[in-house]
Amino acid sequence: MSAITAAVIGALAYWIIYDLDPYLLSWQCLNRPLVAAAITGLLLGKPVTGIVMGASIEAIFMGISAIGGSIPADGLSAAIIAVTYTVLTGADVKTGIALALPIGTVMQSINNLLLPVWAMLVPHWEKLAVSGNIKKFNFQNFFVSLVVTPLPSVIILFFSLAYGVKGLQDLLNMLPAFVMTGFNAAAGMMVAVGLAILASMIWSKNVAPFFFVGFILAKVLKLTSLEVAVLGAAIALTMFWTDKQIVDLKNSMAAPKKAKAEEEDFF
Amino acid sequence: MGKLQLTSKLDKDEKKVLKSMFWRSHWTFISFNMAKMEANGLTMTMEPAIEAIYRDDEKGKKEAYARHQNFFNTHAVAFSFIAGLAAALEKEHKEKGSVTGQTIDSIKVALMGPTAGMFDSLFFNCLRIIAAGIAIGLCSTGNWLGVPIFILLYGVTQSILKYIFINLGYTLGTSFIDKVFNSGLIQSMTKAASVLGLMMVGFMAATQVSVPLKWVIGSGKASVDINKMLESIFPGILSIVLVLVLMHLVKKGHRPAQLIIAVFILGIVGAFFHIF
Repeated sequence: MSAITAAVIGALAYWIIYDLDPYLLSWQCLNRPLVAAAITGLLLGKPVTGIVMGASIEAIFMGISAIGGSIPADGLSAAIIAVTYTVLTGADVKTGIALALPIGTVMQSINNLLLPVWAMLVPHWEKLAVSGNIKKFNFQNFFVSLVVTPLPSVIILFFSLAYGVKGLQDLLNMLPAFVMTGFNAAAGMMVAVGLAILASMIWSKNVAPFFFVGFILAKVLKLTSLEVAVLGAAIALTMFWTDKQIVDLKNSMAAPKKAKAEEEDFF
Repeated sequence: MGKLQLTSKLDKDEKKVLKSMFWRSHWTFISFNMAKMEANGLTMTMEPAIEAIYRDDEKGKKEAYARHQNFFNTHAVAFSFIAGLAAALEKEHKEKGSVTGQTIDSIKVALMGPTAGMFDSLFFNCLRIIAAGIAIGLCSTGNWLGVPIFILLYGVTQSILKYIFINLGYTLGTSFIDKVFNSGLIQSMTKAASVLGLMMVGFMAATQVSVPLKWVIGSGKASVDINKMLESIFPGILSIVLVLVLMHLVKKGHRPAQLIIAVFILGIVGAFFHIF
């Protein structure tokens, strides 16, 4: 098999898997190295190599999951490149596996580089959603997610498979350092835009202090989201029951008999 | 609370809408981005409900779409539950006017944080590890059965749960809101949901927003690390300031496009001058 054929197959495997999961299924399951390596191996005519390598790469990437923002390495492209490289060069399976993590890290920094670009589309989505033409909104979402978003990675994947993985690293090194740092910084701060819009919807003088309570619980006390939620629910429920007592009291002063009936109805 | 009726009480149209929402809830991550995360997935999932509820109400429809274009982020399975609940709330909003748009926002925000935490750890740290453990054992010996077992245990399970949760969210929403509304406590509930919601926004601001300041003034022993200095005043003060400044700008009527571009330029220019 020529390098170009293998590169086409690898790039296509990436494209298909990436479209299916996360975008069409949202399982975050098919894009795991275990499945991706097996599919790539099958397409390249070496199913057993794919399955065995998938098991090892999955074990490496198991601890690396997407909880809370940044992902250090992309398991999907790592698995595909490692398997294709091994099948293509006939190298030892162990060499291919050793390649996986560095490749995953490089590919992830490319993904991160593009994160601010996708965020730039947000105003466009907003306008389209309320435009009354929801079909157009749906179509463009599919087009962007299924075709445009994976395209840079697909192209890079193809060239690194066809012309060597080292070239990819060199290419990244050619970028001025501040571009990478700047894109990463922008991606980290962009979450604040969404949160700010959200907060402005529910912000009022009555409840504003609780923003800071939530912040401190997470930042200073390092509580998890569930722990903060339980504390928050306790405060919210207390406020709710206090309000209920006031409402009940008002009702009972207005119409004593009616209030009693209502209290029994509720809960 | 009285016994909750699940699905049996739903009429034919509601069942049709929920079924369509179930399939669409698989698009959770469509056009995922750092500014609004799963907003587009939610908008597309809510579409059947919004189209059915606001059939003859263009203004209400637009407002509903705008509402579900807000920042949204949780685990993909919990996503279905909140979508079902939001559909029930939208129905109440339109038909009885008992639920305000702000209530819907508050309830969504109040739920996404805790469900994300709960479901993330359940699926990523528990189910995935179990499924991968079994599959790795099989695959490392060259047994292909490991792959379908992994997909069944970790993938298909999520779809089954999505189906259950979207119906659960809808029926729970309907019965719960009815009770609260009849007792005249809807305002108190909005306030309570806002408290929890805003605490979760605070939590997300602390854990997800990062202002990677690396600014050092001077050199050698006389140098001052600005980030360290600020952190010692109040941990994470920059994240708070960033969210509050942006919120102030939102309230002043600045469009998200301007804010996103501003943040982007801030990142690049900051990195160029070695502030980040």
